[in-house]
Amino acid sequence: MAGKVGWYGRKRTRELALIVCFLLPSLAIFLLYRMIPLGWNVVLSFQSWSPMRPARWVGFEHYEEMFLWDDVFWQAFWNTLIWIGAAPVAIVLALGIALLVNSDLKGASVYRTIVFLSYPLMTVAVGIIWRWMYDERGGFFNWVLRSTGVIEQPLGFLASFDMALPAVIVTDIWQVIGFYMIVLLTGLQSIPQHLYEAARIDGAPARARFFRITLPMLRPSLFLCAVIGLLNSFTSFDLVYIMTNGGPGHATELLITYIYKAGFGQTKFDYAAAITVVQFSLLLVLTVLANWAAGGNAGAVERD
Amino acid sequence: MRRGFPWARHAVLVLVSAVMLLPFYWVLKTAITDENIYAYPPRLTPLDPHLFNFVDVWYLIPFPRYLLNSVIVSALAVAGNVVLNALAGYALTRHFPAKRLVLLLLLSCMLIPFQATIIPAYLISARLGVLNTHLGLALPLLSTIVCIFIYKASFEAVPKSLIDAARIDGLSEWRIIATVLLPLSKPAIATNVILAFIWSWNSFMWPLIITRDAEMQTLPLGLARFLSYLEDTTGALYAFVVMVLLPGILVFLMAQKEFIRGLTSGATKG
Repeated sequence: MAGKVGWYGRKRTRELALIVCFLLPSLAIFLLYRMIPLGWNVVLSFQSWSPMRPARWVGFEHYEEMFLWDDVFWQAFWNTLIWIGAAPVAIVLALGIALLVNSDLKGASVYRTIVFLSYPLMTVAVGIIWRWMYDERGGFFNWVLRSTGVIEQPLGFLASFDMALPAVIVTDIWQVIGFYMIVLLTGLQSIPQHLYEAARIDGAPARARFFRITLPMLRPSLFLCAVIGLLNSFTSFDLVYIMTNGGPGHATELLITYIYKAGFGQTKFDYAAAITVVQFSLLLVLTVLANWAAGGNAGAVERD
Repeated sequence: MRRGFPWARHAVLVLVSAVMLLPFYWVLKTAITDENIYAYPPRLTPLDPHLFNFVDVWYLIPFPRYLLNSVIVSALAVAGNVVLNALAGYALTRHFPAKRLVLLLLLSCMLIPFQATIIPAYLISARLGVLNTHLGLALPLLSTIVCIFIYKASFEAVPKSLIDAARIDGLSEWRIIATVLLPLSKPAIATNVILAFIWSWNSFMWPLIITRDAEMQTLPLGLARFLSYLEDTTGALYAFVVMVLLPGILVFLMAQKEFIRGLTSGATKG
């Protein structure tokens, strides 16, 4: 009997060892490139450190400098908020397209492919294409505006302090709108049809069906879109770097491009780490707010 | 659900499609134009289309080098994702102590955008001595949490009796994964391959930070470099853009279903 337990125990240990071995490579990567960096980042933000000097604890010095003295930080901060604020516009547009595509319309899948096509593309290339669209001489927009007589002189969209940020945001929306549409489409298709049939029998008008059935049932998908929009403020580095590199002045500076410039342009890794902490906190706060606005636990993992 | 006015909906969708496709047309048109691309008014159709710019790209920049680096990094990322995610996904279908903790860890890691950790990630890579190497470029991309869960869901859909039968026949865990689970999880493998390829192929910020020599640069970096060197000169830049975009577009069109499923399942499963 004892031998049998021992055999079972050994087998169980071997199995456990195997499971650990299977998990280890992936966990090591996440530990190295997600968990440890996150903690290190926070520590670094309270230190004075550069590759040549030993680290020294300086408390909130970087945060003080950032909040009280750094105008560029504040501009990047507000630009990031504007960037995030544009996401709802894109989500509403995407919802419109998703509603049009989600029907028995002939060729709906073709439209879906076309709208989604821009999402998996290399953002660097997208940035170059749109720079060219906005170009003063050979660009599409100037040609349209000039030939229709709206403007006399060509406009330098990306060189203008007022128009550069909206111009880059339009490009960003063009690229991600397909992803929002796909997420919303998946949400729409998971709404049980009998709800609509019941509403129709009850004589509910189309508007009521949309506001009473479609929108409430779409809440998890809409929350997800909001989170994607928030994360987008981090991942938009490529687009801004290529199209304007934060310029003119700092008119299109986002926190993420400022982090890059502070860290790898001026080798102020410690200061860049402090900005990263601020942006990450901003992200967390806004995610919690979005979750709360979506009526709580909207992002909860479904048990199945 | 049937609604009225199909032609009106077609009209709106055709307009939307035109807006989405216009930038592609504009860049393609420019890439095959040899006249001065800055001529005003711009031509809507190229006067004398030719492929001269595409040939030019090979002479103006070390295109083969960029391509080789991109292919190596993407191959490493795809191989890493397909193998490591399968192993981790399988482990998560089994019971073991602290499983909830591992799941929680993975789910919370998903909320950390990689861009938020670049500074320590750079410093860690420096300590590991992988700056400016292919391995360093690929290392953070080798495993993806979303893809682990895609494998997990796929493995869990395999009937338990099949696995038990294999186990009774004396197959080792490795053999069970390789000969029972993976052949039944082809869609999950396809999703892993496509997501890993698209993500690594497009990746820009990480290579920008950790490569130092032109020798190690990937295609997106080559594009950015080309842009800053040769701006305002030729249509070759746009030919380069077309060449870089084509593989991504082709892969996407061939495997649209797997790609979308990967994105949305990752999105809805947390």
